[in-house]
Amino acid sequence: MTPSLAGPASAPVRERETDTTERVLPDAPWDVIVWDDPVNLMSYVVFVLRRVFGFSEPVARKLMLEVHTKGRSLVASEPREQAERYVSELHGYGLQATMERSS
Amino acid sequence: MRWTLDEVEAELLRTLIASLAEVLAGADPRDVAVQRLFPRTVTGDDDADAELRGLIHEDLAGVKRAGLDALAALLDGGSRRGAGLRVELSPDDTLLVLGVLNDVRLAIGARIGIEQLDRDDVDPDSSLGHRLAVMDHLGLWQEMLLAIVDPPAVRIHDLDLPDDLGPTEHGPDT
Repeated sequence: MTPSLAGPASAPVRERETDTTERVLPDAPWDVIVWDDPVNLMSYVVFVLRRVFGFSEPVARKLMLEVHTKGRSLVASEPREQAERYVSELHGYGLQATMERSS
Repeated sequence: MRWTLDEVEAELLRTLIASLAEVLAGADPRDVAVQRLFPRTVTGDDDADAELRGLIHEDLAGVKRAGLDALAALLDGGSRRGAGLRVELSPDDTLLVLGVLNDVRLAIGARIGIEQLDRDDVDPDSSLGHRLAVMDHLGLWQEMLLAIVDPPAVRIHDLDLPDDLGPTEHGPDT
Protein backbone atom coordinates (compact mmCIF):
# COMPACT_ATOMS: atom_id res chain seq x y z
CA MET A 1 0.00 0.00 0.00
CA THR A 2 1.41 3.35 -0.95
CA PRO A 3 1.46 5.96 1.79
CA SER A 4 -0.46 8.38 -0.36
CA LEU A 5 -3.37 5.96 -0.37
CA ALA A 6 -3.19 5.15 3.31
CA GLY A 7 -5.71 6.65 5.62
CA PRO A 8 -9.45 6.61 5.58
CA ALA A 9 -9.69 6.01 1.86
CA SER A 10 -8.27 2.53 2.25
CA ALA A 11 -9.88 0.64 5.06
CA PRO A 12 -8.33 -2.75 5.68
CA VAL A 13 -10.07 -5.84 4.43
CA ARG A 14 -8.58 -9.25 4.88
CA GLU A 15 -9.93 -12.51 3.58
CA ARG A 16 -11.49 -14.72 6.17
CA GLU A 17 -9.75 -18.01 6.92
CA THR A 18 -11.53 -20.93 5.34
CA ASP A 19 -12.01 -22.81 8.62
CA THR A 20 -14.69 -20.40 9.73
CA THR A 21 -18.02 -22.00 10.36
CA GLU A 22 -21.19 -20.08 9.95
CA ARG A 23 -22.89 -20.57 13.25
CA VAL A 24 -26.44 -19.83 12.39
CA LEU A 25 -28.10 -19.49 9.02
CA PRO A 26 -25.37 -18.76 6.52
CA ASP A 27 -27.36 -16.10 4.72
CA ALA A 28 -29.06 -14.56 7.72
CA PRO A 29 -28.37 -10.84 7.57
CA TRP A 30 -26.25 -8.91 10.04
CA ASP A 31 -27.04 -5.36 11.04
CA VAL A 32 -24.29 -2.78 10.90
CA ILE A 33 -24.71 -0.19 13.66
CA VAL A 34 -22.96 3.15 14.04
CA TRP A 35 -22.75 4.37 17.64
CA ASP A 36 -22.70 7.89 19.03
CA ASP A 37 -19.30 9.28 19.80
CA PRO A 38 -18.35 12.55 21.47
CA VAL A 39 -15.35 13.20 19.22
CA ASN A 40 -16.30 12.54 15.61
CA LEU A 41 -17.63 15.69 13.96
CA MET A 42 -21.15 15.60 12.60
CA SER A 43 -19.89 16.64 9.17
CA TYR A 44 -17.20 13.95 9.30
CA VAL A 45 -19.79 11.26 10.03
CA VAL A 46 -21.90 12.47 7.09
CA PHE A 47 -18.80 12.35 4.90
CA VAL A 48 -17.90 8.81 6.00
CA LEU A 49 -21.43 7.48 5.50
CA ARG A 50 -21.51 9.02 2.03
CA ARG A 51 -18.14 7.61 1.14
CA VAL A 52 -18.59 4.10 2.51
CA PHE A 53 -22.20 3.51 1.50
CA GLY A 54 -22.65 5.99 -1.33
CA PHE A 55 -25.61 7.60 0.42
CA SER A 56 -27.01 10.89 -0.78
CA GLU A 57 -26.35 13.80 1.54
CA PRO A 58 -29.92 13.89 2.98
CA VAL A 59 -29.83 10.16 3.74
CA ALA A 60 -26.38 10.36 5.31
CA ARG A 61 -27.43 13.36 7.36
CA LYS A 62 -30.62 11.66 8.55
CA LEU A 63 -28.61 8.63 9.74
CA MET A 64 -25.98 10.85 11.35
CA LEU A 65 -28.68 12.75 13.25
CA GLU A 66 -30.17 9.45 14.36
CA VAL A 67 -26.78 8.49 15.78
CA HIS A 68 -26.56 11.88 17.43
CA THR A 69 -30.00 11.89 19.00
CA LYS A 70 -30.69 8.20 19.62
CA GLY A 71 -27.18 6.99 20.30
CA ARG A 72 -27.08 4.53 17.43
CA SER A 73 -28.26 4.01 13.91
CA LEU A 74 -28.73 0.97 11.72
CA VAL A 75 -26.85 1.83 8.55
CA ALA A 76 -26.85 -1.48 6.69
CA SER A 77 -28.21 -5.01 6.87
CA GLU A 78 -26.10 -7.41 4.87
CA PRO A 79 -24.79 -10.95 4.65
CA ARG A 80 -22.04 -11.58 7.19
CA GLU A 81 -19.00 -11.01 5.01
CA GLN A 82 -20.30 -7.75 3.58
CA ALA A 83 -21.21 -6.58 7.06
CA GLU A 84 -17.66 -7.37 8.18
CA ARG A 85 -16.25 -5.35 5.31
CA TYR A 86 -18.41 -2.39 6.28
CA VAL A 87 -17.42 -2.60 9.97
CA SER A 88 -13.77 -2.83 9.03
CA GLU A 89 -14.03 0.10 6.67
CA LEU A 90 -15.90 2.23 9.22
CA HIS A 91 -13.21 1.45 11.80
CA GLY A 92 -10.66 2.61 9.24
CA TYR A 93 -12.38 6.00 9.40
CA GLY A 94 -12.56 5.94 13.19
CA LEU A 95 -16.31 5.49 13.54
CA GLN A 96 -17.57 3.24 16.32
CA ALA A 97 -19.36 0.60 14.29
CA THR A 98 -20.41 -2.89 15.25
CA MET A 99 -22.40 -5.66 13.65
CA GLU A 100 -24.98 -7.94 15.20
CA ARG A 101 -27.35 -10.60 13.96
CA SER A 102 -30.58 -9.13 12.65
CA SER A 103 -33.40 -9.84 15.02
CA MET B 1 -5.06 22.35 -1.85
CA ARG B 2 -2.65 24.57 0.00
CA TRP B 3 -2.47 24.19 3.77
CA THR B 4 -0.68 26.87 5.71
CA LEU B 5 0.34 26.26 9.32
CA ASP B 6 2.15 28.60 11.62
CA GLU B 7 5.25 27.40 13.42
CA VAL B 8 3.44 26.51 16.64
CA GLU B 9 0.80 24.53 14.75
CA ALA B 10 3.37 22.59 12.76
CA GLU B 11 5.35 21.75 15.89
CA LEU B 12 2.19 20.73 17.73
CA LEU B 13 1.19 18.46 14.87
CA ARG B 14 4.62 16.82 14.77
CA THR B 15 4.41 16.17 18.50
CA LEU B 16 0.93 14.70 18.19
CA ILE B 17 2.00 12.48 15.30
CA ALA B 18 4.91 11.16 17.37
CA SER B 19 2.65 10.53 20.37
CA LEU B 20 0.12 8.61 18.35
CA ALA B 21 2.89 6.59 16.72
CA GLU B 22 4.00 5.62 20.24
CA VAL B 23 0.46 4.64 21.16
CA LEU B 24 0.25 2.41 18.09
CA ALA B 25 3.69 0.92 18.69
CA GLY B 26 2.87 0.24 22.34
CA ALA B 27 -0.41 -1.41 21.34
CA ASP B 28 -1.26 -1.79 25.03
CA PRO B 29 -4.77 -3.25 25.19
CA ARG B 30 -5.29 -1.45 28.55
CA ASP B 31 -4.61 1.92 26.88
CA VAL B 32 -7.95 3.67 26.40
CA ALA B 33 -6.62 5.30 23.23
CA VAL B 34 -5.81 1.88 21.78
CA GLN B 35 -9.23 0.64 22.82
CA ARG B 36 -10.87 3.55 21.02
CA LEU B 37 -8.85 3.19 17.82
CA PHE B 38 -9.51 -0.55 17.67
CA PRO B 39 -13.04 -0.81 18.96
CA ARG B 40 -15.43 -3.71 19.32
CA THR B 41 -16.56 -5.19 16.00
CA VAL B 42 -19.41 -7.56 16.91
CA THR B 43 -22.00 -7.31 19.65
CA GLY B 44 -23.83 -10.29 21.09
CA ASP B 45 -21.11 -12.76 20.14
CA ASP B 46 -17.74 -12.40 21.86
CA ASP B 47 -16.11 -15.18 19.83
CA ALA B 48 -17.12 -13.54 16.56
CA ASP B 49 -15.87 -10.20 17.89
CA ALA B 50 -12.45 -11.64 18.82
CA GLU B 51 -12.22 -13.36 15.47
CA LEU B 52 -13.07 -10.30 13.39
CA ARG B 53 -10.85 -8.03 15.49
CA GLY B 54 -8.00 -10.45 14.90
CA LEU B 55 -8.69 -10.45 11.18
CA ILE B 56 -8.68 -6.70 10.73
CA HIS B 57 -6.32 -5.48 13.45
CA GLU B 58 -3.05 -5.70 11.61
CA ASP B 59 -4.28 -3.95 8.48
CA LEU B 60 -6.07 -1.29 10.50
CA ALA B 61 -2.94 -0.57 12.53
CA GLY B 62 -0.81 -0.58 9.39
CA VAL B 63 -3.04 1.96 7.66
CA LYS B 64 -2.99 4.21 10.71
CA ARG B 65 0.81 4.00 11.01
CA ALA B 66 1.25 4.68 7.29
CA GLY B 67 -1.03 7.71 7.62
CA LEU B 68 1.12 9.14 10.41
CA ASP B 69 4.30 8.57 8.41
CA ALA B 70 2.76 10.16 5.35
CA LEU B 71 1.62 13.25 7.24
CA ALA B 72 5.05 13.59 8.85
CA ALA B 73 6.59 13.42 5.37
CA LEU B 74 4.15 16.04 4.07
CA LEU B 75 5.17 18.40 6.88
CA ASP B 76 8.84 17.72 6.21
CA GLY B 77 8.25 18.47 2.52
CA GLY B 78 6.43 21.73 3.20
CA SER B 79 7.93 25.02 2.18
CA ARG B 80 8.78 27.71 4.72
CA ARG B 81 6.72 30.86 4.49
CA GLY B 82 8.07 33.36 6.97
CA ALA B 83 7.50 31.78 10.36
CA GLY B 84 5.02 29.32 8.89
CA LEU B 85 4.87 26.25 6.76
CA ARG B 86 3.03 25.77 3.49
CA VAL B 87 2.04 22.22 2.56
CA GLU B 88 0.59 21.27 -0.82
CA LEU B 89 -2.02 18.52 -0.50
CA SER B 90 -3.15 16.31 -3.37
CA PRO B 91 -6.74 14.98 -3.17
CA ASP B 92 -5.39 11.71 -1.71
CA ASP B 93 -3.29 13.65 0.79
CA THR B 94 -6.37 15.58 1.84
CA LEU B 95 -8.23 12.38 2.69
CA LEU B 96 -5.20 11.05 4.48
CA VAL B 97 -4.76 14.14 6.63
CA LEU B 98 -8.46 14.13 7.45
CA GLY B 99 -8.14 10.57 8.76
CA VAL B 100 -4.97 11.21 10.75
CA LEU B 101 -6.47 14.29 12.39
CA ASN B 102 -9.47 12.21 13.34
CA ASP B 103 -7.33 9.45 14.86
CA VAL B 104 -5.36 12.00 16.87
CA ARG B 105 -8.58 13.57 18.15
CA LEU B 106 -10.00 10.16 19.04
CA ALA B 107 -6.85 9.28 20.97
CA ILE B 108 -6.81 12.58 22.89
CA GLY B 109 -10.53 12.26 23.60
CA ALA B 110 -10.08 8.76 24.99
CA ARG B 111 -7.15 9.80 27.16
CA ILE B 112 -9.01 12.71 28.75
CA GLY B 113 -12.14 10.64 29.29
CA ILE B 114 -14.26 12.86 27.09
CA GLU B 115 -17.27 10.56 27.43
CA GLN B 116 -17.61 11.60 31.08
CA LEU B 117 -16.43 15.16 30.68
CA ASP B 118 -18.60 18.22 31.11
CA ARG B 119 -16.88 20.90 29.10
CA ASP B 120 -18.52 23.66 31.12
CA ASP B 121 -16.57 22.51 34.19
CA VAL B 122 -13.19 22.60 32.48
CA ASP B 123 -10.82 25.45 33.25
CA PRO B 124 -9.57 26.60 29.83
CA ASP B 125 -6.14 27.30 31.32
CA SER B 126 -5.75 23.82 32.78
CA SER B 127 -3.90 21.03 31.06
CA LEU B 128 -7.27 19.45 30.30
CA GLY B 129 -8.51 22.73 28.86
CA HIS B 130 -5.47 22.90 26.63
CA ARG B 131 -6.03 19.41 25.32
CA LEU B 132 -9.64 20.22 24.55
CA ALA B 133 -8.47 23.32 22.70
CA VAL B 134 -6.07 21.16 20.66
CA MET B 135 -8.91 18.81 19.78
CA ASP B 136 -11.05 21.74 18.69
CA HIS B 137 -8.25 23.19 16.61
CA LEU B 138 -7.69 19.88 14.81
CA GLY B 139 -11.46 19.74 14.36
CA LEU B 140 -11.40 23.09 12.58
CA TRP B 141 -8.77 21.72 10.22
CA GLN B 142 -11.00 18.72 9.62
CA GLU B 143 -13.87 21.02 8.72
CA MET B 144 -11.64 22.89 6.31
CA LEU B 145 -10.58 19.65 4.63
CA LEU B 146 -14.14 18.29 4.57
CA ALA B 147 -15.32 21.42 2.82
CA ILE B 148 -12.97 20.47 0.01
CA VAL B 149 -13.40 16.69 -0.20
CA ASP B 150 -17.16 16.63 0.37
CA PRO B 151 -18.83 20.06 0.45
CA PRO B 152 -22.36 18.73 1.09
CA ALA B 153 -21.14 17.07 4.29
CA VAL B 154 -20.35 20.42 5.91
CA ARG B 155 -23.72 22.03 5.36
CA ILE B 156 -24.24 21.48 9.04
CA HIS B 157 -21.87 23.68 10.91
CA ASP B 158 -20.23 21.77 13.72
CA LEU B 159 -18.95 24.86 15.41
CA ASP B 160 -20.44 25.27 18.82
CA LEU B 161 -21.29 28.92 18.59
CA PRO B 162 -22.04 30.97 21.67
CA ASP B 163 -25.73 31.67 22.21
CA ASP B 164 -25.54 35.21 20.92
CA LEU B 165 -23.87 34.15 17.69
CA GLY B 166 -26.16 31.48 16.44
CA PRO B 167 -28.16 28.35 17.10
CA THR B 168 -26.57 25.80 19.42
CA GLU B 169 -28.73 22.75 18.83
CA HIS B 170 -25.94 21.20 16.79
CA GLY B 171 -23.15 20.32 19.17
CA PRO B 172 -19.59 19.62 18.13
CA ASP B 173 -20.05 15.85 18.41
CA THR B 174 -22.23 13.36 16.59
